[in-house]
Amino acid sequence: MKKSKKQSSTSAKEKHNSLIESLKNYGSQIYYDLDKGEYPKFSIPSRSVSNIVYDQKLRQYVLGKNAAIRSAKNTSQLRSFTQLTWLAFFANRLTKQKKSSTLRDVYYSSQAFAIDFEDQGESDNIIVDLEAVLSKPREDFHIFPEERSSVFGDLDIEYTVPGYEGKKMNLSNHPDGYAIGPSLTSAELVGTSAEIVIAVEKGGLFTRFIEEQVDKKFKAIIVDTGGQAPRSTRTLLKRLHDELGLPVIILTDGDVYGEHIAMVIKSGSANAAHLRELTVPDAKWVGVWATDIEKYKLPTIPMTETDIKRCHDLQKDPRYQKGIWKTELEKFLELKRKAELEAFSKYGLTNITDKYLPQKLELAKSL
Amino acid sequence: MSSNKENFSQISPSEFFYRNRDLAGFSNPTRSLYAAVREFVENSLDACDQEGILPDVQLLIKAVDPEKPDPKPYILTVKDNGPGIESKHVPLAFGTVLYGSKFGLKQARGMFGLGATMAILYGQITTNKPVRVKSSTDGIIQEEYELLLDIQKNKPVILKHKTNQVSKKGLSISICLEGDYSKAGSKIRDYVYQTSLITPYATITFDDPKGERFRYSRIIKTMPKPPTTIKPHPYGVDVETIRRMIADTSFTIPRVDDIMIEKVRKELGLSKKNLNFTEIMLKAKKRWKTLTRQVRVVIAMMSFIKMDFDKLSKIRIDDIDVSNQKLTYWDFGKSQSIVIDMDPTSDYYKQLANTVQGETLVTFLNKRFQRVGRITAEKFVKFAGFKPEIRLGNMTNQQLAKLSDSLQKFDDFMSPDPGCLAPLGEEPLEKGIQQFFNPDFLAVIQRSASAYSGFPFVVEMGIAYGGDISSRGSKVYRFANRIPLLYDEGSDVVLKVVNEIDWKRYKVNPDSPLVIVSHICSTRIPYKTVGKENVADRLEIERELRLALQFILRKIQIFMNKRGQAEMAKKRANLYSKYLPLIAQFCTELAGKKKEPDYKKMLKEEVTIDESQSQKQEILITKEVQKEEEIVVEKVKETK
Repeated sequence: MKKSKKQSSTSAKEKHNSLIESLKNYGSQIYYDLDKGEYPKFSIPSRSVSNIVYDQKLRQYVLGKNAAIRSAKNTSQLRSFTQLTWLAFFANRLTKQKKSSTLRDVYYSSQAFAIDFEDQGESDNIIVDLEAVLSKPREDFHIFPEERSSVFGDLDIEYTVPGYEGKKMNLSNHPDGYAIGPSLTSAELVGTSAEIVIAVEKGGLFTRFIEEQVDKKFKAIIVDTGGQAPRSTRTLLKRLHDELGLPVIILTDGDVYGEHIAMVIKSGSANAAHLRELTVPDAKWVGVWATDIEKYKLPTIPMTETDIKRCHDLQKDPRYQKGIWKTELEKFLELKRKAELEAFSKYGLTNITDKYLPQKLELAKSL
Repeated sequence: MSSNKENFSQISPSEFFYRNRDLAGFSNPTRSLYAAVREFVENSLDACDQEGILPDVQLLIKAVDPEKPDPKPYILTVKDNGPGIESKHVPLAFGTVLYGSKFGLKQARGMFGLGATMAILYGQITTNKPVRVKSSTDGIIQEEYELLLDIQKNKPVILKHKTNQVSKKGLSISICLEGDYSKAGSKIRDYVYQTSLITPYATITFDDPKGERFRYSRIIKTMPKPPTTIKPHPYGVDVETIRRMIADTSFTIPRVDDIMIEKVRKELGLSKKNLNFTEIMLKAKKRWKTLTRQVRVVIAMMSFIKMDFDKLSKIRIDDIDVSNQKLTYWDFGKSQSIVIDMDPTSDYYKQLANTVQGETLVTFLNKRFQRVGRITAEKFVKFAGFKPEIRLGNMTNQQLAKLSDSLQKFDDFMSPDPGCLAPLGEEPLEKGIQQFFNPDFLAVIQRSASAYSGFPFVVEMGIAYGGDISSRGSKVYRFANRIPLLYDEGSDVVLKVVNEIDWKRYKVNPDSPLVIVSHICSTRIPYKTVGKENVADRLEIERELRLALQFILRKIQIFMNKRGQAEMAKKRANLYSKYLPLIAQFCTELAGKKKEPDYKKMLKEEVTIDESQSQKQEILITKEVQKEEEIVVEKVKETK
């Protein structure tokens, strides 16, 4: 029996409409200021480190109350003001025409309008500004990063992108999985027979899981995060959880970076503190834990100085103050060694799917 | 017999300078050529300054044999349009050492006219050629001399003397000397260049040995007033100077011989007439005011010995003991020594006392020093712990030392008289800098006169920015009494002050193309070395230099600010006109409008802002720097 979409959650269409509305408001404000002969200005939440705070209730980093005024009067802001207005204008066109663009595309597109970004870094920064102004992730206004991650499993979707409107698709038809791109991100999630989402850090393991039919054996949708999960992937994970009510578990390498990949999926990153729709607070990290290294006698490699420093840095993060987050971090520091997901291959290629995964899925229920 | 008997012999000044020519800058062919140029050019300029003549100076250096490698003999000629030198003085002026008219205390480029003779001496030593001098004081007749210097006797040897018809006044000197132009050339060109910068009222031409001509035409036609000679200031004398000044003023008891008696008779109008003693005294009293000092003294003596002229011629005055009021004379007729008492209440006694013991200290100070009034002098005598009636003739060596010491310590003397100084003036300095550098910005200052150790001095400074100046960082041109200082700049006080400036405070990038012109005028420039190339860091001079520099930097700061603001305003206007149309375009589509918002009026407004802001800032900067100056003044006071 297939689970279908919950009624309460917002559809892709509604999202689209509210974005168009926000962009129009933004443009109108500037328009009327100029028409009155006043220099337009607006406030934008400050993204400086001092204004990023951890919200215990939301279980993620959020921006504090500090806001900066961006004014066209200020000549040092005039350029970025114009860039931001252009980006809103550009996003408006993209959204209305249902076209997507990469970060790199944005950089080049600007040149057609005499908006000179010095480099892509500058245009990327303006994109984050627009996210903060609209409180919407860039994927909402059809701007996507280059990096792609993949999904595989019994999931029915219905496209909303031009040319594919209404077309349906099941995501278990192609054994290499499906790239999580603009069309997939903006598609409506129709239904699934899966009961769990398994996010893995590495493409190699993703392929192994498909080969070993983990999707069928465990009724799972498998997601390859490709290292640190891109926003589109995190959005998809959130939608799978919120719209289809699926629990999300995460499998990473047994090191401090793996632990943090899981944490970012669960509670976001400081970089995206201005956004609220990217976290899956109920997601569970099931491995590879530091304690697993001893338990499963995994082959290890020593931690580097940078690894150790990273551990100490994370120990200061409020999210690492309790539970497995705290204890595993301490264990890593104690062992000073790390293990990759592939380490299970020492005991046979299918060892991880035959032995480790079932145990961990069982364990997840009690987490 | 002693075999090591030493031969003490006096050497002539010529000999002395011949042996010590390094001291005067004639150490090698390079330096000597440069030094000779300097001495002659400076003498010409000084002579013109003195007479208020706008100087035209021509400098010519020619190799005797251009094919020969350096060092080799050169003919150096300097021609001017100055007052010339009277024919009778020419041989002495150019053929002896230490003959000159510059012994007084006044501002001049050269000192004592020593250098020119040194150059002649050097030329004679190295090439054995005479100096050729042509001088015309009236612009009609020119005296032409060829002279050699007799070093041992310090006397000129005239080889040739003739007169020519001319149409211009002036002096021309030509010497032949061993030089190295390939090495000295750049310094000499620098020297001529910088000299014309600080002498904008002169036309200077330089024809170099390679046939190239450097001509710097007169930029202004007004000359600074010529410097005058002044009496010394109490702070500026030492024991030796005081001793000399006393010797200069002292007056000894005249010998009463027949010639003297004749003089007395003449002044009293008694050449033919014989009067008795009482009649003579009466006559003297009547004519007292017209009598010379010598005659007065003789009359005073006569009043005590009570003799007429006949008797007076038969005695010899041996001693006048003022403190014991005794007068001793030898009577030829009686062949015996006679002592008589003098009445201390008599006016004649005072006259004698004055003569024998010299002036009182108060009179001495009042008469022989600049800006010392009787009241100040009396105050000083009290301050120094001398009795008010003390006379110079009675002062012991110890007392003289004490006097010289106290002069330095007494605070109530007025500062030295700067009237004798002849700074260039702000306007000529400004015009000179303008002409030379054609700068984007230029500021000059002449500080009011100040003094160090009793010598008055004035600091003038100018700064120029941009224009034809292409140097990175500041180039400093140093001048003292209108001569450029080219060597040894590292240890100079001006450089020290410039290097200590915090450029950032004045919003000046240290790499900016800047020229700083510094001119110190004084009756005595405290040079560090005999070569006259760098000025020692006297506290007072350093302070004046710093204040001058701060002043002109403050000006340049205002300029930089204004320029910065103008540029900024322009930049702003450009930015708005570039970006506002874009914003308008984008927001029109975003807002779903068809017509663009009316933003054009905003662009017009933008151009008309500012002005009042820059004025405010100017006042602020002025205040800030003045505060700074006050602090410096405080510090100087403290260290004193």
